[in-house]
Amino acid sequence: MEWLMWFTKLENTKPLGLLIFFVTFCAILFFVFGSKERGERLESYKNMPFQDD
Amino acid sequence: MIDHGKIEKNLGLMLVLVMIAISIGGLVEVVPLFFIKGTVEEVKTPEGINMVRPYSALELRGRDIYIREGCYLCHSQMIRPFRDESMRYGHYSLAAESKYDHPFQWGSKRTGPDLARVGKKYSNEWQVQHLIAPRSVVPESVMPNYPWLMSPLDTSDVGDRMAALRTTGVPYSVSKAEYDNNVKDFGADVAKQLHIPDAKKNLIEQAQTGKYDGNAADVTEMDAVVAYLQVLGTMVDFSKFDNDSFVKFR
Amino acid sequence: MASVAIGGSEQYNYDIVRKFTIMALIWGAVGMLLGVFIASELAWPFLNFDFPYITFGRLRPVHTGAVIFGFGGSALFATSYYIVQRTCQARLLSDGMASFTFWGWQAIIVLAALGDVLGYSQGREYAEMEWPVDLLITVVWVVYAIIYIGTVMKRKEAHIYVANWFYIAFILAVALLHIFNNLAIPVSLTKSYPLFSGAQDAMVQWWYGHNAVGFFLTAAFLGMMYYFVPKQAGRPIYSYRLSIVHFWALIFMYMWAGTHHLHWTAIPDWTSTLAATFSIMLLMPSWGGMINGIMTMSGAWDKLRTDPVLRFLIVSLSFYGMSTFEGPMMSLKDVNALSHYTDWTVGHVHSGALGWVAMISFGAIYHMVPRLWDTKMYSVKLINVHFWLATIGTLMYITAMWISGIMQGLMWRAYDDFGNLQYSFAETVAAMHPYYAMRALGGLVFLSGMVLMLYNCFMTMSQAKGVASGDMAPQAA
Repeated sequence: MEWLMWFTKLENTKPLGLLIFFVTFCAILFFVFGSKERGERLESYKNMPFQDD
Repeated sequence: MIDHGKIEKNLGLMLVLVMIAISIGGLVEVVPLFFIKGTVEEVKTPEGINMVRPYSALELRGRDIYIREGCYLCHSQMIRPFRDESMRYGHYSLAAESKYDHPFQWGSKRTGPDLARVGKKYSNEWQVQHLIAPRSVVPESVMPNYPWLMSPLDTSDVGDRMAALRTTGVPYSVSKAEYDNNVKDFGADVAKQLHIPDAKKNLIEQAQTGKYDGNAADVTEMDAVVAYLQVLGTMVDFSKFDNDSFVKFR
Repeated sequence: MASVAIGGSEQYNYDIVRKFTIMALIWGAVGMLLGVFIASELAWPFLNFDFPYITFGRLRPVHTGAVIFGFGGSALFATSYYIVQRTCQARLLSDGMASFTFWGWQAIIVLAALGDVLGYSQGREYAEMEWPVDLLITVVWVVYAIIYIGTVMKRKEAHIYVANWFYIAFILAVALLHIFNNLAIPVSLTKSYPLFSGAQDAMVQWWYGHNAVGFFLTAAFLGMMYYFVPKQAGRPIYSYRLSIVHFWALIFMYMWAGTHHLHWTAIPDWTSTLAATFSIMLLMPSWGGMINGIMTMSGAWDKLRTDPVLRFLIVSLSFYGMSTFEGPMMSLKDVNALSHYTDWTVGHVHSGALGWVAMISFGAIYHMVPRLWDTKMYSVKLINVHFWLATIGTLMYITAMWISGIMQGLMWRAYDDFGNLQYSFAETVAAMHPYYAMRALGGLVFLSGMVLMLYNCFMTMSQAKGVASGDMAPQAA
């Protein structure tokens, strides 16, 4: 379990946390805003609550 | 390339991704604490005896009553490393001081004062009077009266309680080997108090000799609560350490 | 109306939604009444009456249990069953299982309250229930997850509407938190000791405690928001893409933030700093949700003047925005040094609990009740009165707690000319009295609004007699 010590050092966990968060965030942003076509498709889902009326 | 369309449409994949997203934070922050040695520091006398010990049978029953009455909702047991708190309450709390606390009782609100080092600050008589009628000694207090603590203490299952704690890892002893080990770690007097087969006998003896409720004859809930309050924060003798010796653990 | 005509009475299970709605109203009134009472105990301690079962220490968990799990939980069950059926256009997986979650959940609330009053407590905030109740919660929760996920699987359209994402994350996260926080070794039916101790136990408890707020009281209620704000406003959500981004960011970051409840305590500094960092970043996804909800109104702001239900929903989002700004600020270590252990924390919780959670639930319930019972609200005027009582009550409450919290924090650390502490602890307690009285009054104003709602809703239900029975199909809006 010695490798866990690596996480206890703030100089390691800070950039790690930042990296994990940032990469994931960029990926999501890319998926969502990367393509106009996909964007329009996604926005069309906003009308779902009204389909049951 | 992964398509986000798959995620919104594939429920199974979504469940997995949500589980991953919500697990990382806990894994990185909580799990290492169970493995890092410095999280809970070792506090020993020069002779190598552990200063922080498990609660005696009577103190444990007092702690159970403390939890039963919800004291932790108004009293913290965690002194922070600030000048005003050290002046008001004493040395900041060490992780080691609550290492046998199942559950921890650090609290989150000080409607009343911190109790981490309340032990030995007031006499038994004061504690009893204060618990029965707080405003008779502290007129500004908003604490409820606890007159029912003068009723007899249920001691029937104290051994079972200690046995359950032993399962979680608290070094209460059952066998001779465990007992001897406790003599080595905590000294002979303490080891006696940690022996589960003698729990009830020890409890009654401590209540009668300690006279926590001012009455040696019967064992009341008051005996237990006051015994618990009087031990809080007194286990570590800070005069044996340099001022900064605990800073490296923060 | 088309979809209703297809399935007739069989299409959706509204019976379970009605049951949970009624219990949300009842637990809301009971829990808030208890809140007013224990607030009064702090202002006037004679109210403890030397009677063990009603002391502050025992009633406080009854209050938190009744409002969070009774009121909030029942509102979440009701809205989630309503939304999942309507957005998936599928009936719940199983009526029997749904009914089991209803009776199981109500039993849990009652058993938890009885346990608290009798002193059977685990001594863990917001998880006071002893292990038999914890086991029952686990069983009910698993059944809930099966119903919910099973219903989503039956959906007519390929895409899963975003409100359901939030409910799914809430169901999974609460299961995870509940199980790990309640690991314990039983002594008897009414007593157990937690598996962890001291610093580790503290970390687990506040990982649970903070994320109970993050997922039970935030993510799930955002799910509620994503359905009822568009429906009540009659226009789709502002940006669907924003909802995707802020969903993933929110559920990821919340789980890191719990340790800010343990700043300056005997845990390693790095956990505390990490938690503060994530708490600050959490502002962004939180405000993403708020902006998405509020901007849905853009171009239709005039509706707020005439529709008190919509006003509930939009004002709840404003309170959400305010408390998710206050929260990250309080997670800064220097601010926390002052605010921790004081009433500021209590005020912060209630600006979220009253302003956001309760108000959005009120809006959602006012939206659902006429549709579930197929009638009109008994009185729209009373909804309007309720809105103002709720707003004024919340503001009184949090103002009182801001003043008392900051004042007490400053008094604790005040020194006299000689460098000694200026105030004894008892003096700071005495200084709190007027604000404790003001807080109780604010709570009373909020409670009176809740009682009006109870009256209004029950009058609505009784004027729709006959529709209330389970076999009748209510008309869609």
